[in-house]
Amino acid sequence: MEDKEILDKFANPESRNLAFNQLIRKYQQKIYWHIRKMVIDHDDADDLTQEVFIKVWKNLENFRQDSQLYTWLYRIATNECLTFLSSKRKKFFLPINDVAAELTEKIDSSPDIDGDEIQLKLQKALLKLPDKQRLVFNMKYYDELKYEEMSEILGTSVGALKASYHHAVKKIEEFIKRD
Amino acid sequence: MHEGHLTHNNMKNDFKLSDLPKHNIYEVPDKYFDRLPAQIMERTAGAGYSPAPWYAPAWKPLRLALAPLVLLLVAGIVYFSQMRQEQEKSAVILATVGDEAIVNYLSTFAVLESSDFAELPSLSSPDMTAEFLNVSPKAAEEELEYYQLEMTDY
Repeated sequence: MEDKEILDKFANPESRNLAFNQLIRKYQQKIYWHIRKMVIDHDDADDLTQEVFIKVWKNLENFRQDSQLYTWLYRIATNECLTFLSSKRKKFFLPINDVAAELTEKIDSSPDIDGDEIQLKLQKALLKLPDKQRLVFNMKYYDELKYEEMSEILGTSVGALKASYHHAVKKIEEFIKRD
Repeated sequence: MHEGHLTHNNMKNDFKLSDLPKHNIYEVPDKYFDRLPAQIMERTAGAGYSPAPWYAPAWKPLRLALAPLVLLLVAGIVYFSQMRQEQEKSAVILATVGDEAIVNYLSTFAVLESSDFAELPSLSSPDMTAEFLNVSPKAAEEELEYYQLEMTDY
């Protein structure tokens, strides 16, 4: 179902629930994986994904259709991730590296993570990046979004995103060579 | 290059991210995405939603129209407050002028016009007091009696 059709149905109180159910089914995986790659832990990703969709439910009628629905959803999910990681640091007075260490430990110990050595190393290398650069990398490398779309989601210029991605790739390659 | 070809030595020597196949190492519990919509829908039932207010469609053009009006209003308030300040300043300046100077000014520059003379007969009218004091002759008399002003010598 097209986004326009979902939005039109959502505007009608009689078909609102049906439309929202279709919206969740259409975007749940994209949103979940976007969040999961940032917070690593499934339970955290599950909570945040649900929070994102609850926010979407509350605000969808105010959504101005001058941007695409999925970029709006990505933006909400991105903000939820950044807020979550930031509050995690504040809550435990942790510096960036300690949160990265905690997430790295999850990669080693979690039963729902399965990959070969190089793939695990790549994920650990990613955790060495600052949150926003990690977001940029994930959106470009895994989600294969265009820079223009990323720019709309992150509110950053295309040039800055290109530079950020380029540096992220260099850092990851260096980390894997060195480690 | 196939994933399996990336041995530990290859990694150390000349690793390029572009050589690595994209692979999602994370897994979800069985049928997670089948259950998730129902879980979220259950939560939305208690969450309520924020419908756009009835004025939402008209609010944007209304804001654009209101902006110049607000500016005009502010400019008007500033203008009138400045005018008032100017008037107060004039009154203060006038109060500092001595009576003698005012009399001199009036005797030099004031010109009586024919309309001023036309009003002279009305000054002797019996209703003058009422007109000026905005009080009826009867009420005035009652006041005089009350304060016994008729007995007072000035």
